[in-house]
Amino acid sequence: MSLTSPPFSPAGTAGPARAAEAPAPPRGASPGRRRTRRPRTRADSALTAVGLVGIAGVVATVWLGLWVTPPDEFMGNLVRLLYIHPPLAWVMFLAYGVSFLASLLYLWPRTRSARFDRLAGASAEVGVVFTGLTLVTGSLWGRPTWGQWWTWDPLLTTTALLFVLYLGYLALRRVPGEPEARAKRSAIAALVAFIDVPIVYFSVLWWKSLHQAPSIDLTTRKTYVHGSMAWTLLLGFLSFTVVFAWLVAHRYRLAVLEDREESEGLALALAERRAEAPEAP
Amino acid sequence: MNGYIESGYIVTLGALGVYAASLVGRERSARRRLPAPPARGTAPAEAPEDAPAGDEGSPAPPPGSSGTGA
Repeated sequence: MSLTSPPFSPAGTAGPARAAEAPAPPRGASPGRRRTRRPRTRADSALTAVGLVGIAGVVATVWLGLWVTPPDEFMGNLVRLLYIHPPLAWVMFLAYGVSFLASLLYLWPRTRSARFDRLAGASAEVGVVFTGLTLVTGSLWGRPTWGQWWTWDPLLTTTALLFVLYLGYLALRRVPGEPEARAKRSAIAALVAFIDVPIVYFSVLWWKSLHQAPSIDLTTRKTYVHGSMAWTLLLGFLSFTVVFAWLVAHRYRLAVLEDREESEGLALALAERRAEAPEAP
Repeated sequence: MNGYIESGYIVTLGALGVYAASLVGRERSARRRLPAPPARGTAPAEAPEDAPAGDEGSPAPPPGSSGTGA
């Protein structure tokens, strides 16, 4: 293969202009396959550092939560589940908040950018993972506390609804269509789905609920945990927030690559069609 | 302690670990499928409008393909 052959151009075609300027793969490599290692950037190093901080924080939370903190006066050892359950729920709210803001910025004509669309999708996907875990850990806490895995309590029901709404949002993002129209309808769906977020948070205050009130009340800034329990809970909040940032950053980078792949696949298909067409006399 | 607590921690850490590993794996395989960006010092044909840090020099998508991959 000649050194000037574009990696994505089919044999005998010129291919897209920008592909022609891409470097050729090393000898012995098949066309279109990358063999050289991508140089490590500052962003990569920063992301690795964030990931390590997140892992260290989560490990410390688990150690403090399972072995260091004392059992609760009323809940006994079951309180240990609360060092992960509220932080998971907090990240769920944070993820949907980020998705809401990014969608708003995408819909605003002055700030419209594919970046915000990708960020909204990445954050919502991570949010769905955290919502699922919030529901599972809540259920594991509810079984020995309330005597049942699930109850149609307002908080539980609205959280399950939130899970389904954002699953629908992620499904909507995968519906084929013109990229801008797809991004716009996804952004509108994210704004609609977000309506359930404050309902989830305030449901324990608005309606009679089996679920206890938040351990840290954001409206009155009161905390109902103290000492080593409070510090462990705080560490849980911080650690899971860092883990969230790391996951969103990776999901965002993956979205960029998926977009590139999609656009280059389209360019390749166009080049193939042009090559197949008979040349004009 | 009882099985509920351990299960909660195992499910949480396991699910997050699997999700994180799947993201990293998908990112790596996507990078392998895509052509290499131009070497340092060579100007790309078109600067990508919205490539994140770490994607400098990657080919820009054609007009109208600012996609929604996430």
